[in-house]
Amino acid sequence: MKLLIIEDEIELLISINNYLVRENYICELAENFRKAEEKLTIHEYDAVLLDITLPDGSGLELLKTIKKFQLKAGVIIISAKNSLDDKINGLDLGADDYMTKPFQLSELNSRVKAVLRRRHFNGTNIITFRELSINTDGKSVTVHGNELTLTPKEYDLLLYFMINKNRVLTKEVIAEHLWADNIEMADNFDFIYTHLNNLRNKINRAGGTNYIKTIYGMGYKFSEP
Amino acid sequence: MKFLYKINRNHLILFTAILLISSVAGFYILHHIILNATKESLVEKETLLIKQINETGEIPNLYPVIEVKKIDQLSDEEPEFKEILIQNDVEGELEPYLEYSNHVKINDSLYSIKLRQSIFENEDLVIILALSLFLIISVSFGVSFFISKKINKTIWTDFESNLRAIERFNFSDNKKIELLESNIEEFDRLNRVINVLTEKLIADYLSLKEFTETASHEIQTPLSVALMNLDEALQMDLNEEAFKKILTSINALKRLSALNQSLILLTKIENRQFKADGDLSLNDLISRKLQEFSPLFESKELDVELKYEQDFILKMNDQLADLLFNNLLSNAINHNLKGGSIQLVIRQAELIICNTGDPNSLTDDTIFDRFTRGNSKSFGLGLAIVRKICETHHLEIHYTNDKLHCFTISKDF
Repeated sequence: MKLLIIEDEIELLISINNYLVRENYICELAENFRKAEEKLTIHEYDAVLLDITLPDGSGLELLKTIKKFQLKAGVIIISAKNSLDDKINGLDLGADDYMTKPFQLSELNSRVKAVLRRRHFNGTNIITFRELSINTDGKSVTVHGNELTLTPKEYDLLLYFMINKNRVLTKEVIAEHLWADNIEMADNFDFIYTHLNNLRNKINRAGGTNYIKTIYGMGYKFSEP
Repeated sequence: MKFLYKINRNHLILFTAILLISSVAGFYILHHIILNATKESLVEKETLLIKQINETGEIPNLYPVIEVKKIDQLSDEEPEFKEILIQNDVEGELEPYLEYSNHVKINDSLYSIKLRQSIFENEDLVIILALSLFLIISVSFGVSFFISKKINKTIWTDFESNLRAIERFNFSDNKKIELLESNIEEFDRLNRVINVLTEKLIADYLSLKEFTETASHEIQTPLSVALMNLDEALQMDLNEEAFKKILTSINALKRLSALNQSLILLTKIENRQFKADGDLSLNDLISRKLQEFSPLFESKELDVELKYEQDFILKMNDQLADLLFNNLLSNAINHNLKGGSIQLVIRQAELIICNTGDPNSLTDDTIFDRFTRGNSKSFGLGLAIVRKICETHHLEIHYTNDKLHCFTISKDF
């Protein structure tokens, strides 16, 4: 999968690039409007990460270029502006998703995967890890080929872990992903435990292995045992 | 009070006052004139009477108008006028007369002459005056009312439509106020002043809006870089101490970012940058919110009870409504005791949210001030945002602390 990252803050651009390269994407970078426009008219991409505040032009203008030359590409807007107008404009112009800075790389990964699934697999994609398998189309999970019944939150939790495998996810990051903005006011995130334990128990009972490791009681990691 | 009403009322008062004063004056003047004219006519009659007696020697007597008597001795009384009352035989009531009495000498005989003439009754005069007064007041007020109404239709319509344009004015529309020219100097001057003021306000508003968004951008970008690098560092093979240090830094930066966003949000609410989306049913919203917050209730073992009496309909921006109840519910959870309770009551035009909690916490409305945070780990901006949202939506919010901590939101009429 080939991605184009458009972001004027070089350090951010490099961090995102390093991370996505490790996730086995082919990435191209553009740090300004001119470069981005040039690349968009020449090459073909599967997804574009677009910062809408660029020094030499508006990202919303680039969105029009993308819609003209990159029919297949999914677009995720990355903005520091937590402005509803920009969000609505962006989504109206055909962006697939909108993220506000600062965001977690694991969250970015999850959104990129979701956009790619929608754009390139017609929403159908099977994610497997050893005996676990998730079909994102029907939102179904199997262990050793047997169907596992999960609540929507447990499903989201497992999908998030499998997309971000081998990555430490803190309780805060998980809570933000599952409950979005509503949770940011919470004083503690212990309620994550309940969902996590239920998920672990269900997988265990279906004969699966517990791949979710607890790290010092503050974070979790989905990885090979 | 409407301008036209006020003008008419003032006109009416003025007319009445002028006419009352002038009619009192008129009464006296009229009375005086009538009296003088009567006196003159009586003196004239005397001359005619003397002439007649002189020529014919007849002594005419016509009671009560002419009364002539022969007398023996000439008294040295001066001729005098006085007002007397005489019984009227026809109507059977007392009527006022002006009496002129004099002593004269005609052909060596002495006569006492009394001439009388009926004068207006005061009562009649007052009635006539009152009637004409009433007639004048009603005619002149009617004319003035008609004229001001006519003027109102022509002159004030432009003013009224300008007034409506100003009332409709909203910063977030980003539109100038369109005011009609009226060719009346004062109104046009007012229009010019309003145009200058609103242009300045719009310019200030836009620059403030731009500033808050730019500030947000400038702060969030370096925060993003720091957070991303720390997130990457967290993925390395770390010992527990290093892991905790990085995690603490991440959480501190996230709090900084949240603080920044909350302050920008407060400014945006103050600037009324959120447009109301339409009618919002609090019952629907609260039910949805309770569902969303259920994991948080469960983790603190809270007993949540919703008493629904009647729906409270609000005109509010959806995003702000969400934020309002996120903050109120978060507050009720974070300041609650483990195993405590939260009670909500929805009534027409009132919402009450109560929670159990530490009885020694904040007791008055300072709870809404910025950076007042009690025992919470937050920044103390949540309730400041709540109050700001209420203030910009004509809602009143009160806090009471009597066993339960209660917030009451009601419509501000």
